[in-house]
Amino acid sequence: MTLTLTRRRGVETAPPARRAGQRGADIRAGYTFLLPWLLGFILLAVGPMLSSLYLSFTDYNLFEAPTWIGLENYTDLFADDRFLQSVQVTLSYVVFGTPLKLAAALAVALLLNNATQGQGFYRSAFYAPSLIGASVSIAIVWKAMFGDDGPVDQGLGFFGIHLGGWVGNPSMTMPMMILLTVWQFGAPMVIFLAGLKQIPTELYEAASMDGAGPWRKFVNITFPMLSPVVFFNLLLETIHAFQIFASAYIISNGEGGPAGSTLFYTLYLYLRGFSDFRMGYASAMAWLLVIVVGVITLLFFRTSKSWVHYGGDAR
Amino acid sequence: MISRRSFLTTVALGAGSAVALSACGGGGSSAGQTGSAGNPVTINYTWWGNDDRAERTRKAIALFESKNPDIKVNGNFTDFAGYWQKRATEAAGGGLPDVMQWDLSYLRDYAQRNQLMDLGQLRIDTSGFEKTLLPSGQIRGRQYGIPTSTNAFAVYYDPAKLAEIGVAEPGGTWTYSEYKAWLAEVGTKGGGRYFGSTDFTGIWWQFTIWLRQRGIEAFTEDGKLGFSKDDLKQWWSLAGDLRGTGAIVPADRAVQLKPKSPFGSNVSASENTWDNFMAGYLKDSGAKELKLVPVPSDDADDLGLFLKPTMLMVASAKTKFKDAAGRFIDFMVNDPEVGQIFKTSRGVPASKTQREGTTFEGADKAVVDYETSIAKYLKDAPEPPIVGFGTLEAAFLRVNEELNYGKQTVDSAVDQWFKEAEDVIKQNS
Repeated sequence: MTLTLTRRRGVETAPPARRAGQRGADIRAGYTFLLPWLLGFILLAVGPMLSSLYLSFTDYNLFEAPTWIGLENYTDLFADDRFLQSVQVTLSYVVFGTPLKLAAALAVALLLNNATQGQGFYRSAFYAPSLIGASVSIAIVWKAMFGDDGPVDQGLGFFGIHLGGWVGNPSMTMPMMILLTVWQFGAPMVIFLAGLKQIPTELYEAASMDGAGPWRKFVNITFPMLSPVVFFNLLLETIHAFQIFASAYIISNGEGGPAGSTLFYTLYLYLRGFSDFRMGYASAMAWLLVIVVGVITLLFFRTSKSWVHYGGDAR
Repeated sequence: MISRRSFLTTVALGAGSAVALSACGGGGSSAGQTGSAGNPVTINYTWWGNDDRAERTRKAIALFESKNPDIKVNGNFTDFAGYWQKRATEAAGGGLPDVMQWDLSYLRDYAQRNQLMDLGQLRIDTSGFEKTLLPSGQIRGRQYGIPTSTNAFAVYYDPAKLAEIGVAEPGGTWTYSEYKAWLAEVGTKGGGRYFGSTDFTGIWWQFTIWLRQRGIEAFTEDGKLGFSKDDLKQWWSLAGDLRGTGAIVPADRAVQLKPKSPFGSNVSASENTWDNFMAGYLKDSGAKELKLVPVPSDDADDLGLFLKPTMLMVASAKTKFKDAAGRFIDFMVNDPEVGQIFKTSRGVPASKTQREGTTFEGADKAVVDYETSIAKYLKDAPEPPIVGFGTLEAAFLRVNEELNYGKQTVDSAVDQWFKEAEDVIKQNS
């Protein structure tokens, strides 16, 4: 009671008018400092997004004013063979590429976590590809490596496997693209490694006392303890995989070939907008992608309750 | 405190917009802004091409600037595919360069949408041009583009490669069955080292020529397709027995060589394309000599050939420097010294003054000689292709590639192309 009174009196000692003025000034100062970012966000992100939402309901060829056509772009999509192909190509990339990449990242993180020497060096070495992997030059190198008589062809030939160039073979371009993304496992690996370091060693010690082997420890300790990090990486890499563009553009000369095998969603969107001048259609594709990725993210969050364990959970 | 801050913000914003506004002003007179030797105007010029063309263009620009001290030309170039994507974004933002190198395929797209200037209002001398050539730069009677040069379709071959594998050089006139037999012979004797040619049925212009040999125009005057599904079926079936043999470069090889052609990469002994590719092919392949013969035809008197503007010079409808743009275009198409710089790398100069002021030797002479040799077969150039033609041509090549991969039958390929083509025509009508 005394305490409350003191507090209240303390409050009243400051003149109310000055406090309100001070608060308003703080808010204004806050927004002023925020202004550069806020302006950028509104002008460069929100504005264009809203205008693309509008354009997705129009017929817009970049030159003439857009004309409203309602949902026609969205309904046209499903009668477009090339669109359906791009969905199929992108989904197989996401479904096969992302788990493989995460598995590779986790495997290497586990190995590095046990390393006693040179961990810093190996961590940097494995991380490097994910910094440069999305670059134009790597895509060009990749194209050369997987061409006829390229290092990959020759290497496999040494083991008696003769596949020829992967770049020109429609059934081998997807494995090639997946290898390119798996090779960039460095970023999720570093996050996994940080997560592994957080797991208390007592748990492993206790498990050893009970006679648990490495596999048992992984299944019952490492993976559950790491599950928030796995969830984070899975979410991020899935969204990332949907957005693949630059490497596919370079490797297929911007065409999505051979025979449409690298016609990724974003590449087709780009071709529709900037080669065919159908910006309305391309905008509809972009919004459909936003919606689909949003729904997938939501599903991930829903299912996460059953397999992701946060510290302090009763489970 | 706050009022001072907001005051400063207002001042800063005001100053910014004042600068922006003043940048929008100027111009207005019919000649647009003009410069003087002491205070030259700068026009932007953009083109597509390789390093070779860039070097030649820079020489031409330097020459123009020395002759016209009141104008500076700011040059910029990219490759062909990237070129059109860049122009589309610029056009959407209202910022096309003042003067541009242009392709016939995209003339209607931009002219009909009021992006290009009617060059009739500028002082450009067109007296040295063939009267049959100028209409290919016209849309609805207005001259939107001036041809720099002409090219004609041809079959290229490398005599050294033929000698190496013991195949006789083609005679000069041939029917389709003779042509196909020749390709097959190259394939057999080439033994995997050399293939006959790229699938010639995947080339839109070769298809157009075949149609013309049969009296059909690819597009009708009202912008529809002038040929039927049966025509296209027949055309794609023409190479049906050659696909998968040595006569035709396998699709997976061709794909890997991109952006170079199999011919330029010494994978095939011949290729059908425009005659101005000579310089590029010589450079790519390192061959000593390449020869040109007319395309095959089943009617020896009608080869379906025509002279097409290799490229056109156009100006942006929004340029502030009309006078400078007109003088630069006039210089690029008419000046004999420009002809000397470019030789036949842009095709054979279209204007008589430029053509006669240029000396052609070696490979350049072979191109000029080829166009002279086919002069009696030449018909009028076709009209500028329909809006959306770039998409149609790309689809033609792509669907044919799928045919070569065995992913499609001729019937399904024809259906797919027609579906896409009709969609494009519907969109743009």
